[in-house]
Amino acid sequence: MSGARPGDVSGDGTSGGGAPATYPSTSEERRGVRMRIAHLTGWLRRLDWLSRCGLFCLLVLVLAALGSMVNLGGDPAEIAGGRLQPPGPDHWLGTDNLGRSLLPRLLEGIGVTLLLSSIAVLVTAVLSTALGIVAGYLGGMVNNLVMRVVELLYAFPSIVLAILVAAVVGPGRPAAMAAIVLVTIPLMTRLVRTASTSVAQRDYVTSAVVSGVRLPRILIRHVLPNVAGTIAVQGTYALSVGILVEGGLSFLGFGVQPPQASLGVLIQEGGVYMVAAPWLIITPGVVLILAILSINVVGDGLRDRLEPRETRSLR
Amino acid sequence: MRLFLWWLRRAVSAVATLAGVSILVFLALRAMPGGFAETILGPFASAEQQRELAERYGLDDSAFVQYWRWLQAAIGGDFGTSMISREPVASELGARLPVTGQLAVMAVLTALFIGVPLGVLTALRARPDGGGALGRLVSGLGVSLPEFVLGSIVVFVFSRYALGLSVGGYVPFADDPAGNLTAMILPAAVLSVFAISATARTTRDAVLNVLVEPYVTAAVARGESPAFIIRHHILRNAATPVVVLLSTITAYLLGGAIIVEYLFNLPGIGSYVVQAVGRRDYAVVQAGVLLAATVFIALNVIADLVVGLIDPRLGVTAEGRSM
Repeated sequence: MSGARPGDVSGDGTSGGGAPATYPSTSEERRGVRMRIAHLTGWLRRLDWLSRCGLFCLLVLVLAALGSMVNLGGDPAEIAGGRLQPPGPDHWLGTDNLGRSLLPRLLEGIGVTLLLSSIAVLVTAVLSTALGIVAGYLGGMVNNLVMRVVELLYAFPSIVLAILVAAVVGPGRPAAMAAIVLVTIPLMTRLVRTASTSVAQRDYVTSAVVSGVRLPRILIRHVLPNVAGTIAVQGTYALSVGILVEGGLSFLGFGVQPPQASLGVLIQEGGVYMVAAPWLIITPGVVLILAILSINVVGDGLRDRLEPRETRSLR
Repeated sequence: MRLFLWWLRRAVSAVATLAGVSILVFLALRAMPGGFAETILGPFASAEQQRELAERYGLDDSAFVQYWRWLQAAIGGDFGTSMISREPVASELGARLPVTGQLAVMAVLTALFIGVPLGVLTALRARPDGGGALGRLVSGLGVSLPEFVLGSIVVFVFSRYALGLSVGGYVPFADDPAGNLTAMILPAAVLSVFAISATARTTRDAVLNVLVEPYVTAAVARGESPAFIIRHHILRNAATPVVVLLSTITAYLLGGAIIVEYLFNLPGIGSYVVQAVGRRDYAVVQAGVLLAATVFIALNVIADLVVGLIDPRLGVTAEGRSM
């Protein structure tokens, strides 16, 4: 997609004779880390307003999730008042069909959804990175094998795959997590692999091979940093897919099980009382859309920064 | 010759993927909790009855034998009998296919006729600084609206305020075309929101990538009109990712617009499979999932064919796409 990526971090290893020049001294390494941090804050500043809004929204959601852990806004399971009360001073977001206040339930839902999806996407990121880098660098048989398996998973529509997983594992949080991992792995592995293939042909990798650097070190020190951008971008998108899958699965009743709240569960419950109490579906619905949208927007921003391309107009 | 070999390889790999999918589905269904005999006979059946049933359906045979038997039947179009309705699964799926198919066609055509022009327009108007944050926000919003949120809200608004389009109440097109369309427009519209935004985004990216090609520069230098350049240089070269995306969307919709069918109570394949999972109706789940995956693989091959027709540099694109 992009030609020369500005983030080529491991440009070392081209100089030096017999000595293994690819091994930087500790002070150099420390400077590298500091530079990377500066790099990070650098592009945080260069993100456009939209991506920054997205980042801000995400931060608020994470804080809300943390708040739910200390029962901010009350106990989500407590019957706090009358049934189906509209939003008011007592219950800011109204109450549900059992008289539970929606605010603490919503906070719990945000926490459950975010935690579940993040863990699942972390698993995906680790697995796809390992598979993608190894397949992309080694090529040949290993590549074929990995890509066949990935293609197999890719052939299932995501929600169908998720439901199949839920049917086998049994409805619940583990099913939702397994479903997210299986749904997000194919695309991420493919893209990490494509990026690794192009990195594997770069001169600094060749020179590292020639200087006798061992395979694991090449993969970790030379290939990994240069596909990190792809991993970050795809990980962000995978998170939004994860939230979507959790929501859909819980909505159909195969994911998180009530009385525990998740955004999908809340939307499903709200849907039942939609006519009498529309706030029960609108609030969690808006929060879910906001979460997915801000993650996507951050992903777009990251992609534009990490994989820049030329633009032009026709006139 | 090279082309033929490439197609042969493509076909072989499609069949191999399909075989893998069938094994995966078979194993997954075997791993489901709750035994087959118990599901049919209920929890109070005697051991004798269970043994008899297992013998009748060949449940004692090895997994391999069972798989082989199932595969042979499936290739012949026999997907077994639903354990709930006692109807052949194939005929039930066949009866539901038109609903799902119509939904998919309506949504994809909308995406094609709205999404592609939208993508081209936004690409041409993109500023060099990669700006246009508002456009990004709108298209981002389109792909971020989950079907179950959007669908629920649409169901609510239209069932509460009676806006002329019915929610649910599906009738076959042959019986009552107008009634069929009023029932199908809303679910198709809900599905098309994602399809349009995704198509527009992909088109935009593809066009932006083509715009920097030297031949576009040359065309501009020759003084060709923008409309001509778009039609003859850009669209054709930007088509590949769009075709691939549209085929993926079609496949996913045909595999079951599960949530939308469930919400709008349409008798399609998706709602059938969801029901079957809830009731542990193995044969139905197996057939439904296999159908979805088969459609996906088949459409992938078709997309390759179309891409090959649009872009004769097949070998090049093939290498680029063969992962």
